[in-house]
Amino acid sequence: MNKDSLNPVQRFRLKEKEGRFRSPYFFLKVLLLAFFVFTPYLFHSFQIVDVVLKIIIFSTLVASYDIILGYTGIVSLGHVMYFGIGSYFVGIFMGKLGLISYGYLALAILIAVLISGVLSVLIGFFSLRIRAIFFAMVTLAFMEFTFILASQLRFITGGDDGISFNLPGIMAIGYRLGRFLGIEFTGRMTNYYLILLVSLILFLLMVRFVHSPVGRVLQSIRDNEQRSVALGYRTYLFQVMASSFASCVAAMTGGCYAIWVCYVSPSSSLSVSIMLDVLLMVIVGGMGTLYGGILGAAFLMITGAFLPKLQVLVAALLPGVPFAVRLSERWLFYFGLLFILIVYFFPKGMVGTAQEIISRRKGE
Amino acid sequence: MNPKSRQWLPKSAVIAIFLLPLLLISPKTYVTLTISGIAMGMLLFLVASGFSLIFGFLSVLNLAHGALFAWGAYISFSAFSFINQWTGWGGSNSIFSNILIFLLALVAAGIGVAILGVVTERLVIRPVYGSHLFQIFITVGAMTVMEELIRIVWGPNDEPMPVPVSFIGSWDIFDVVVSKYPLIAIVIGLILYLIVFTILRRTRLGMIVRAGVENPEMVQVMGHNIYRYFTGVFAAGSALAAIGGGMWATFVKSINPAMGGEVIVFALIVAIIGGLGSMTGSVVGALMVGLSYNYVAYLIPKGALGITMLLLVIILSIRPTGLFPEGT
Repeated sequence: MNKDSLNPVQRFRLKEKEGRFRSPYFFLKVLLLAFFVFTPYLFHSFQIVDVVLKIIIFSTLVASYDIILGYTGIVSLGHVMYFGIGSYFVGIFMGKLGLISYGYLALAILIAVLISGVLSVLIGFFSLRIRAIFFAMVTLAFMEFTFILASQLRFITGGDDGISFNLPGIMAIGYRLGRFLGIEFTGRMTNYYLILLVSLILFLLMVRFVHSPVGRVLQSIRDNEQRSVALGYRTYLFQVMASSFASCVAAMTGGCYAIWVCYVSPSSSLSVSIMLDVLLMVIVGGMGTLYGGILGAAFLMITGAFLPKLQVLVAALLPGVPFAVRLSERWLFYFGLLFILIVYFFPKGMVGTAQEIISRRKGE
Repeated sequence: MNPKSRQWLPKSAVIAIFLLPLLLISPKTYVTLTISGIAMGMLLFLVASGFSLIFGFLSVLNLAHGALFAWGAYISFSAFSFINQWTGWGGSNSIFSNILIFLLALVAAGIGVAILGVVTERLVIRPVYGSHLFQIFITVGAMTVMEELIRIVWGPNDEPMPVPVSFIGSWDIFDVVVSKYPLIAIVIGLILYLIVFTILRRTRLGMIVRAGVENPEMVQVMGHNIYRYFTGVFAAGSALAAIGGGMWATFVKSINPAMGGEVIVFALIVAIIGGLGSMTGSVVGALMVGLSYNYVAYLIPKGALGITMLLLVIILSIRPTGLFPEGT
């Protein structure tokens, strides 16, 4: 095949295919996947498995957010809304309606994905048309609205208390299959592998989306919107497309999260503080990298899991100093500071900065 | 649409929101609701106007505005408690000393948060002028830090807000119940609106700011140090938010560190409805939101927020840039 007759997308794909199995990144990814697969065998404590699974879920969510933020260049402040919609549909079907079966679980997630897609298209259509900055404000307003809706509509959502529920068959927590390679294979394990599989598929789908022709157009819009308009693209249609795709993925991850914790409430899956976490994960990991989300999620989840222990330490070291204890309790304060500092000094995040250093070395 | 009907649309929208509920609500209740709606509108105006002006002039989407609002509430709470301990004005029956202590608390909040605003603008926002993406991140970070600082300084729990004695209760005028505090809030809000409006319309400073909203580069070309005006506008917007915070806290009689988060969304909606960067727009948008919220809260208690969102969606689809153009 003549290389010159190919368009840039095809050329990129050809190059990628040639070096696919030779690149060190490929082995890194396989290693990471292997780590995730064997985590339940490596660590027998539930706490660690829980943290690892949350890293998996949140890195998928962050990657979907990165499609909007890093690849399309528009700011959504309501992305967690779709995550919450996914969780809530699973919660409502399993808990409120009591329709505990595989079919209804799939149906719940399907409905959540559809609603998220439609909602994001609607929001996109009437806020992206004018200025991309409107999108940030309108999504924030909608998220606050759904949050209040979820905490007020007691008869459907259970209000602030939320809904806790059981899952069908082999996914139920009480399910026991028997011992397998030294650990007991419970419903938790089924869910772990199910969610890992779903997240993997979603992640590959997103990588595919970003490298597709549509993804290329999105990146061109991010880099120079006027130029893309001049090239004849209806930019806002592409932006709407990206946002609805990302929202569908977010709804799926929300469903997975609900399956793992078997509980859904406004503060655990719809609140602004989760949005802040997701923003911080994207910034720490690096925008426009997809894989950065894994690092960002890992950083935040691990610090989030171990900070309470630090707090106990401070309380033991400085007894009777309420101000110091309060200062150590407010870990969100340090996250906020970190957030500002990262935006100043490492605006590309961990993965972005690393990529920059590597490419600079190669250039020399 | 021709220009005449464009000017007509916002007015008719306001009149419709004013009069439509009369069909469903009895006149006496209507008067009570209207007064509390206007009061709410005035408080929203104080928050939204600063937000809108900062966006119009600095083109910064200041998501930390809600935290500044909460800071205002907390500073006025502390100032009120401090002065009250010292003089006992808040508990006395004289309406004059009641109003004096209330105003002093608001002034303290305004000055304190204006200083905070200057620090925020200089330290946090200035390095990222021109990049919308980073501004949003930075202001989200600033919001988190400021909110957490409140939790560190004042503690994480809700506090009851002290209210001057003569502000409690209501008057009974021809069988119509008129609460006292909303009327006071309306008067203070109107005075502040007139002050801001006069400064923007009648002074040289206001002229420069209005010019800056339309075209910052041109103002710089004319030899003005626009960054100094940026700081000034940010400080003024913060002070307005702080005064709004103090008044809001007295309205709901309690304060909590996260109170800014709920209000910032209303401010956003008001600013979008009225048109970003427009003072008149903020006041009209705030009145529309405040009134419709109160009427619907009376008719369908759980639909109050829904009507606000509906208003936003309708206005955005008819007039995507808001009711009023920039700089008016």
